[in-house]
Amino acid sequence: MCLPTRREFSKVAANGVSVGIPLSSLPSVRRRLLLAGVVVWVAFGLWPARPKRAEAQSKPLVYVFLQLDAKSSAVEKALQQHLPDVAVTVFGRFRDFEEVFGSARPDAVLCITPVLEYLGAPVTLQGKRGGETVEPYVIASEGKPLDGSLAGKTIGVVDLMGRDGTQSFLNRLLKTNDVKMKRVSKIEDLLPLLEFSEADGVVLPSAAAARLAERTRLPIKTRDLPDGMVGLPAVSVVNAAVRDVLVRSFQGLDGETNRLLGIDSWSAQ
Amino acid sequence: MTGWQGGSPRWRAWLVAFMVAAGAFPSAGCRPGAAPEGAAPIVDPPTKPGAPAILIAMPNSPNFLEVRKSLVSEIRAAFSVVTFVVTPDTTAADLGAAIRRTNPACMVLMNNATITLVRDYERAHPAQTFPPTVLLMASLIEEVQATLKNATGIAYEVPGVTSFMNLRAVIKTPINRVGVLYRPGLRKFVERQMGPAAREHIEIVPVSVPSDVTSEELREALENLVRNRHVDALWMLNDNALVRDEQFRDGAWRAVLNESRLPVVVGAANLVNPGSPLGTLAAVPDHEALGLQAANLIFELADDHWRIGRHRTELPLSVKTVVDIRRVRDVFGLRLEAVKHIDRALE
Repeated sequence: MCLPTRREFSKVAANGVSVGIPLSSLPSVRRRLLLAGVVVWVAFGLWPARPKRAEAQSKPLVYVFLQLDAKSSAVEKALQQHLPDVAVTVFGRFRDFEEVFGSARPDAVLCITPVLEYLGAPVTLQGKRGGETVEPYVIASEGKPLDGSLAGKTIGVVDLMGRDGTQSFLNRLLKTNDVKMKRVSKIEDLLPLLEFSEADGVVLPSAAAARLAERTRLPIKTRDLPDGMVGLPAVSVVNAAVRDVLVRSFQGLDGETNRLLGIDSWSAQ
Repeated sequence: MTGWQGGSPRWRAWLVAFMVAAGAFPSAGCRPGAAPEGAAPIVDPPTKPGAPAILIAMPNSPNFLEVRKSLVSEIRAAFSVVTFVVTPDTTAADLGAAIRRTNPACMVLMNNATITLVRDYERAHPAQTFPPTVLLMASLIEEVQATLKNATGIAYEVPGVTSFMNLRAVIKTPINRVGVLYRPGLRKFVERQMGPAAREHIEIVPVSVPSDVTSEELREALENLVRNRHVDALWMLNDNALVRDEQFRDGAWRAVLNESRLPVVVGAANLVNPGSPLGTLAAVPDHEALGLQAANLIFELADDHWRIGRHRTELPLSVKTVVDIRRVRDVFGLRLEAVKHIDRALE
């Protein structure tokens, strides 16, 4: 079977606003198989049955993988409370998300748009904050800003797309292929990288950098990344049969829950 | 402190006892390479022809398996993974045979018993070279590391500063000075914590107690620390001799803490219990994150042509927190939105 490259697929399927990754550079056979599955779903509206899911008949299933200022259990609780017509599972780590995504298909996924692009999943509902669909990422360091070339530096980042995908994401943001990446599984683990001098800097959304600076007495400095705009959380509905209920549910979320997700409104694509 | 390797089996016994209590060690035995009775066998991913091998030597029990699962999920695409189960019956020769058979590019050793086996094997074969070794889930790895020929690793003890920062994020009362009682065997460990804590403007106030400290002596030292040293919180080390059993904790710790009303950070979840308050916040290792951190280290070693060189022992980056929310709310004040950052909030 001849599959489109990830970039080719993304051009067709994704909204193309956010920072993408050199998708065609990802060699994983597993990823390509996953992509093949998404292509089939999107192109033919097929969706495999989900045996053993008690709510399969009544509620569409949404997987959420986001790095937020809250434990995934707290996010899951809030979403379950405010999305009564939806079954929500929130993943705190990419590997858990990837593993379950590969074995038990959801009806939709909620991730930041680079992750949706990585999965080859088109955006159905784009989250917005202050009217924008993207947010700036920055590089935070201790003491002084990381000026000049970043080549050879050790940079911490949350694991968003596995080793290869996250390295590509980071290279694209930093405009160099010569950084040593230290992945952490949760956004709060970026601070210890600076506290223990395990990294020269950490890359994160600017809003998260502000929270990091509030939490520590280390003198945190940030440097803007020239092309560091990254897509905000978005929903990809991959089972067309439940599109309406999902769009309605997410667009009906209250302000507090939207803020928890790092957005203030949803826009249908 | 004489160090782990310094012929002080009592220290080892106390620390191992604590880790068993904390659920970090296995209890069942089995044949090397096989699952212990009742445990599922470990299945390695298919061998990758031509890929370097990573040998993981470990007990087959839940916490170790959790780290292994996370580690293997990260490295399986680049390396062949071979897991060797270590049991109480495993000998240094057994493990040595596994090393020769596997010829790994790198070894991962989990727990002190496994490390001791490799150390004994290395000492019995002084002319042999050994692959770089990553040490995980063992006590005082910073000190154990030096007993092996070619080792680095990730400390298993949660750094004091990590616990203190998590406490700061939860309670409203300020945390600037933290008192800690320690036995001489943990002096170096406590000293290593001072630098990172100072970077966060937290002063550790250490007080030494005798190795064979009694309940009364401990209570006296604690009273002195609380009354005269102006500390904002206490840090209870993972030293079984200082924690022992409920009766000891009642007589030595609760007798003072009930009066002083200071928050206490601990290193084991079972010491946080709103029904019988002792620990205010427990910060315990996040095993999945530890697996990712170990994978990072292995990839870095591979990039450095498997030279240990500059790869000093790392501190663990990630923890899970358990908090006695009832006591925090009643006594110290709960910070706004703190609950959403806690892994387990106990009422």
